[in-house]
Amino acid sequence: MAQVNPDFMETLRQAGTDTGAECNNCGTCVAICPLAEGHFPRLMLRYAQLGAQELILDQAQELWRCLHCGLCTQTCPRGANPGEVILALKRFVVASWRRS
Amino acid sequence: MYNHQDIISLLAANVRATKSPFGIPKPLVNTWWKGQGLGREGDVLLMTGLMYQLVPYIETVTRQLERFEDTRFMPYLAWARFVPKLLSGLGLAALTPAPAKDKAALHLRDIVAALRASGVSFGYRPELDEYSGILLYDLGDQESFVRHARLVAERLAQAGVRRIITVDPHTTYALKVLYPRYVGAQFEVRTYFEALDMGTGGGAVASPDAGGARLTLHDPCFYGRYLELSDLPRRLLGGLGHQCADVRECGAYTSCCGGPAEAVSPRLSARIGAGRAGQLAATGEQLVTMCPICLSNLEKAGANVLDLSAILARGLPRREPDQAAGPGQ
Repeated sequence: MAQVNPDFMETLRQAGTDTGAECNNCGTCVAICPLAEGHFPRLMLRYAQLGAQELILDQAQELWRCLHCGLCTQTCPRGANPGEVILALKRFVVASWRRS
Repeated sequence: MYNHQDIISLLAANVRATKSPFGIPKPLVNTWWKGQGLGREGDVLLMTGLMYQLVPYIETVTRQLERFEDTRFMPYLAWARFVPKLLSGLGLAALTPAPAKDKAALHLRDIVAALRASGVSFGYRPELDEYSGILLYDLGDQESFVRHARLVAERLAQAGVRRIITVDPHTTYALKVLYPRYVGAQFEVRTYFEALDMGTGGGAVASPDAGGARLTLHDPCFYGRYLELSDLPRRLLGGLGHQCADVRECGAYTSCCGGPAEAVSPRLSARIGAGRAGQLAATGEQLVTMCPICLSNLEKAGANVLDLSAILARGLPRREPDQAAGPGQ
């Protein structure tokens, strides 16, 4: 069972963005993403909101499929900035991996 | 798909040791300026960020990565970071075909020709022209990006550089947005087509042989979305008598060429590139772009694409080097 960390958004803020909390999981980012597979990037944003660090680290490879093209950020109706949240998650993962 | 840790470790180690993501000695990569009569002094420094020059090497690397992606040999990439940088860099240089290197140089020479034609005064100092580190930023290796960016910015500042002309969207975004944000370096940064627009007073004067072609522009993500620079290339082309036939996915809503994924998954990159090439082909017109990565990836997808610089260089009246650039090298 995955543990949640309610302070994870603060960690993410230090990694560059705190807008992920605005996401209401509408799925516009999934529809517009050129990867067009699964629930990327929405799923990662939900993990970030929940602070499901273990799941993020377990599925970290998925983050590097992101092209950082910014189309999700451009079209997000909530201003949740999914592209930058994904980039912040990459930074979090790289920092975790360097620490270990 | 390659392991992100292997890719990041390799690229970061290369940048740290050689200031280049591929470890190729700069004298081998940056040769386009020789024989161009470029002055060292000028109101503004031309900075290529080595992106056009690196593309032939990126293509070589991608071809190799493509061969081994998702095969049993893929994990061996983890050992690549232990290969001496100079050795791997020289090997990569030897594997990269000369015509591809010449083609990359041609785009930069076209940019210089267009700047000269519009009367923009600029200087070029090869020793200050460094890779911006943008790939490290995109891959999330913030620590390595900031370390490299600080080094590049400090050298520019020490040389008294305040104003910069850039030639590609990745370096432009790095210098214009990321350097001020993460290393506190403030430069006045313009793309070459912004400089051209200013040089021509917003109205390019076409040479007599400039043609009225119909063109479809592929806006690179960094220009179209992040920097909101889609209108200017269209205005310049319009001034030269060309018409732009846009696809729906243009400007701020442009679609990615797939290039940024090629380091971790050439297969994914090719799939995205093919999709974008298909969107652009809908107009049936000549495709144009202004990013070396987009150019390479769309060409790989089978599209016939021109670099914006080629059209601008042909469309603006030629000037001799000494009319714009000062004493030659």
